[in-house]
Amino acid sequence: MSAEYNPHILGFLCNWCCYTAADSAGVGRYQYPPNLRVIRIMCTGRLDPSFPLEGLANGADGIFVGGCHPGECHYQDGNYHALVSASLVHEMLEKIGISKERFLIDWASAAEGPNFVKIITAFTQRVAELGPLGKAEGKSPEEIRSQLAQAAEAARSRKIRIGLINASREMMKKRDFSRTTISSMVQEKCAKALGELV
Amino acid sequence: MNAPAPNSQSLSTIGSVMVIGGGVAGVQTALDLSDLGFKVYLVEKSGAIGGVMARLDKTFPTNDCSLCILAPKLVEAGRDANIAILTKSELLSLEGEPGRFTARIKKQPRYIDEEVCTGCGQCTLYCLKQIGDDYNENLCRTAAAHIDYSQAVPTSYHIDPKSCLRLNYETCGLCAVACRAGAIRFDDTEEIVDVPVGAVVLAPGFGRVSEEVLRTYGWGKFDDVLTAFEHERLMCASGPTGGEIVRPSDEKHPKKIAFLQCIGSRDETCGNNYCSSVCCMYAIKQASLAREHDPDAEITLFYMDVRTHGKGFDAARERAIAENNFRVVYARPPRVEDVFDGGLLLTWVDEAGKHQYEKFDLVVLSQGLEAPEDADKLAQAASVDLNHYQFAATDSYAPLETSRPGVYVIGAFQGPKDIPDSVTQAGGVAGICSGVLAQARNSETVAATFPVERDIEGEEPRVGVFVCHCGINIGGVVNVPDVRDYAKTLPNVVYTTDNLYSCSQDTQKHLVEIIKEHKLNRLVVSACTPRTHEPLFQATMREAGLNRSLFEMANIRDQCSWVHMHEKEAATEKAKDLVRMAVAKACLLTPLEEQELPVTPSALVLGGGLAGMTAALTIADQGYECTLVEREKKLGGRTLLLSKDRFGNVPGEAVKKLSDRVKVHEKITVLTEAELDTISGYVGNFTSTVAGPKGNTVINHGVVILATGGKPYVPRKYGYGDSSLVLTQIDLEKRLERKKPLPNNCRQIVMIQCVGSRGDDLSYCSRVCCGQAVKNALRIKELSPETQVTILYRDMRTYGFMEDDYRKAREKGVLFTRYTPERPPEVTVGKDSRNKPIVTSYDAILGEEVERKADLLILSTGIEADDPTALAKLLKVPITADKFYLEAHVKLRPVDLAVDGVFVCGLAHSPKSIEETIAQAQAAGGRACQPLSHGRITPEPIVSSVDPEKCIGCGACEKFCPYKAIQIYKEGKIRKAGTISASCKGCGVCAARCPTLAIDMGRFTYDSIMAQVRAFNPQGEENVS
Ligand code: FES
Repeated sequence: MSAEYNPHILGFLCNWCCYTAADSAGVGRYQYPPNLRVIRIMCTGRLDPSFPLEGLANGADGIFVGGCHPGECHYQDGNYHALVSASLVHEMLEKIGISKERFLIDWASAAEGPNFVKIITAFTQRVAELGPLGKAEGKSPEEIRSQLAQAAEAARSRKIRIGLINASREMMKKRDFSRTTISSMVQEKCAKALGELV
Repeated sequence: MNAPAPNSQSLSTIGSVMVIGGGVAGVQTALDLSDLGFKVYLVEKSGAIGGVMARLDKTFPTNDCSLCILAPKLVEAGRDANIAILTKSELLSLEGEPGRFTARIKKQPRYIDEEVCTGCGQCTLYCLKQIGDDYNENLCRTAAAHIDYSQAVPTSYHIDPKSCLRLNYETCGLCAVACRAGAIRFDDTEEIVDVPVGAVVLAPGFGRVSEEVLRTYGWGKFDDVLTAFEHERLMCASGPTGGEIVRPSDEKHPKKIAFLQCIGSRDETCGNNYCSSVCCMYAIKQASLAREHDPDAEITLFYMDVRTHGKGFDAARERAIAENNFRVVYARPPRVEDVFDGGLLLTWVDEAGKHQYEKFDLVVLSQGLEAPEDADKLAQAASVDLNHYQFAATDSYAPLETSRPGVYVIGAFQGPKDIPDSVTQAGGVAGICSGVLAQARNSETVAATFPVERDIEGEEPRVGVFVCHCGINIGGVVNVPDVRDYAKTLPNVVYTTDNLYSCSQDTQKHLVEIIKEHKLNRLVVSACTPRTHEPLFQATMREAGLNRSLFEMANIRDQCSWVHMHEKEAATEKAKDLVRMAVAKACLLTPLEEQELPVTPSALVLGGGLAGMTAALTIADQGYECTLVEREKKLGGRTLLLSKDRFGNVPGEAVKKLSDRVKVHEKITVLTEAELDTISGYVGNFTSTVAGPKGNTVINHGVVILATGGKPYVPRKYGYGDSSLVLTQIDLEKRLERKKPLPNNCRQIVMIQCVGSRGDDLSYCSRVCCGQAVKNALRIKELSPETQVTILYRDMRTYGFMEDDYRKAREKGVLFTRYTPERPPEVTVGKDSRNKPIVTSYDAILGEEVERKADLLILSTGIEADDPTALAKLLKVPITADKFYLEAHVKLRPVDLAVDGVFVCGLAHSPKSIEETIAQAQAAGGRACQPLSHGRITPEPIVSSVDPEKCIGCGACEKFCPYKAIQIYKEGKIRKAGTISASCKGCGVCAARCPTLAIDMGRFTYDSIMAQVRAFNPQGEENVS
């Protein structure tokens, strides 16, 4: 067997929890694989659904979004809205035929350096197993990239985004923040727009 | 130095404070006081501020780089227009009364003009006279013309008059020729200045254990016996060996290292019976770093007791010992001997009473903290009393007050303590001074001004990239020059450099010059984390006339070199990627307008115990309204469970005095039987509802203090609850107040320490139980000297001056027997009070189990937090696994929480003594008033903005904004969204949901994040979609 693949991983971490957890992992000198590159955002709620897709189109083999634990977002519901965006991303990846495991959204509180390390180590490991983007999917890099670019474009489109607004709205109304409910709401609200995406 | 002349209204209160001592405590007080609106004279006897903390390589328990966290504070103090730093100065006398003192200061000449010196270092290069380098513990040499250390503040050199050839023999004078700035002043003279001040804070730090004591352990005789301070310098990248731990005798790496504890502490023979409180933990730190330097070295720590009683310390120690494979020996080797074939011989008596001996390559003496050498002189000058160990005499209920009103004491001079406790006291004393001098607030200060911002409109991005070595923190792993050179190749980068410490004052100065010289309009610093250091660099940018939003950081330490220590190449690659991404983002940054928000000048304090009441009074005395919310009917909290303190005073009386003051204070509203129901808002503008017996009260306030307290842990073993003869220490406190406290014919009382603590139900050490046990043992001995009191313990943690009680207890015949967690004592109890509990424990010296029949069995149990989960959720503040609030920074922000405007004190923070609780509550009260005293806050301009062209008025943003900070308005018939900047917190949910991407976030724009994503591309090719 050849040496294990060294994947490229892009992270979006919220300033208040996961980014702080990553810092505290450093302070505690907990070691993890050097594959992650981090973009700091104030809250995972800032995550535009197009960002992860663009990340994959720009050479990432895996995307990690890290926020505060549910109920602990510094801005109250940001991470719930992030789950809505994340569902769309997963939905689109599935459509394109990219393993959903390449996109992970998870939580670590400011005090949880070791937990962050655990999450990121496991994720890196998993993405390494999947190999370079396209390998597990059986597609050429060019093909995958152009499909991802299309998906990103769609994620910026008014149609899809209105679907997301409706999903977010219903989530807030029902106050049901489970991942499965959110993902079925996104499926439902964006079904039509997603259908148009080949 | 021009001190302001006493003005015409010299009878009124003076709005300035003199702080004696420029260590971390003094600097923190100065910063806090300046923030609260007072002028500060920071008097330091050496050539630079920073104190001992500046000499440390790392700080426990997180092993944070000491200078990295201290330097920003020093820089801030150095550039604060309201802090006058007087170096080489000392207090001669103090006349006057509180509010109106005249402090006479003697200022020794520096012989180099501070105002003119550029810190270039030419004088040192040319200086012919070598002297011992005090900063490096004389392990190396420096020149007579020198700077104390490279990050020193003020960034100015000075000449040692004792050794300078010119000053002594009228020869040489080369430095004056070499100095291009013309800053050398051989005719500089001593100055005496009288400074009018309203209050004085003594923060001179601690002194060193005498050489005589060190010599008994072979120091000075054998090269390879080092003091901990020397060892600390050896570990440090900026130290004499560049961070190599080598034996002074042969410059080889030591393979067997021994750490000896309690050198000059807990030692009657040298007069220091007290415990220095910090050495147990710093030895663990040093040992861990020695391990980092050499994975194979054998490291042994010799302890009498392992006193790691601070918050999170036990956990840190256990982890360090397990991970680093240290050997811990409970013994006190009395001396160090050399042996014939080299090496250092230690002999000791082990716990079983057997003699042991072993050879080591290096012995490190964990020396204690003494009172400062010139404590006497200082006490005389300030007319304050000292205690029998030459530390400042204070009272448990007013821990920061000296015997002279208006003169306060903080830090190690108040009693040996660690950095967080010193910083806490610093905050506390600022709060007190701010109360005493409240009427003179802002009377002596000047407002900070920045130059007008340069308009960069239309300019191409000109990015400067600064890569930091952070000593060896980054440079030891990441190839910094390589990263620097790489940065040079990036588009729009016009300037790159690397620095040993980017955060030092001279680098900051240099930065300003470079920004101007190279007309930089964007700045990228690749160093530590923006969470702690962004404000510092942003302030520097403002000084250089740039908008602070044109700044970006690449985190190549906390998230790179520290987490990939064994993968140097990969870490270097990662650092380059991070720099590339940061530069890409920086190019797209635009200047953002600053906003100002009003502040509701009042506070909400939750919890009416000792901590809450003290905090409320500290705030109210400073002139701000305060609402105190207490769940119970009465104020007072858990302090009332203690019947006597270690001096025989009744804590309840002090609490009563406090609550009496609270009740009549015109600025304090007390709500009892009340609990917080909801809270919303942010610093400056909180709104809370408090549910009480008479319904809900709505309160608007600017800050919150959490003083929600803790509660005694209730043990579930050793027959507690089954037998009336088994009590907790708290039960005993009450019983000792009875008319007949002890059972008839009471022969033996047994106490068991750490019941339910340190790895049992509570994972941590509660800090106060050992002291309480000893105190109660002495009370029993007083009542009935013939009663045998036996204390079964793991480590007696009678830190600080409590050690006196420990000694006294032993002298009075109290028996102390150590047990290990593997072999804890066992107890059998009968049902009724005639069946005495039988306690069995293993005695190492006898080598067998010993049975004791106890007339009373006392369990020393810890303190639990009152479950903070619900409140923490409401406030969005983190809590530790042990359910205490997690402070924003363990060392330097010990009472702030991560959320601005929220503070913590008392047992809700961690278990602590009465004295520590009071100081911490005063600190919380002082810190909380900072935003209140400003009257406004200027949050980061990271708010949302709407492009009306693109906005379709759908209202999704309004719907999802958690702060009602974006609202739909009508322009004729057209609906548009608009941001209310004052309420926006910058989360970005609106932007992520906007259907037309009409909303963007300041500094986190769509395009700038996309630029980062594209720059991430490992193939280097950008996939522009
Ligand atoms: S702030 Fe962390 S997810 Fe919102």
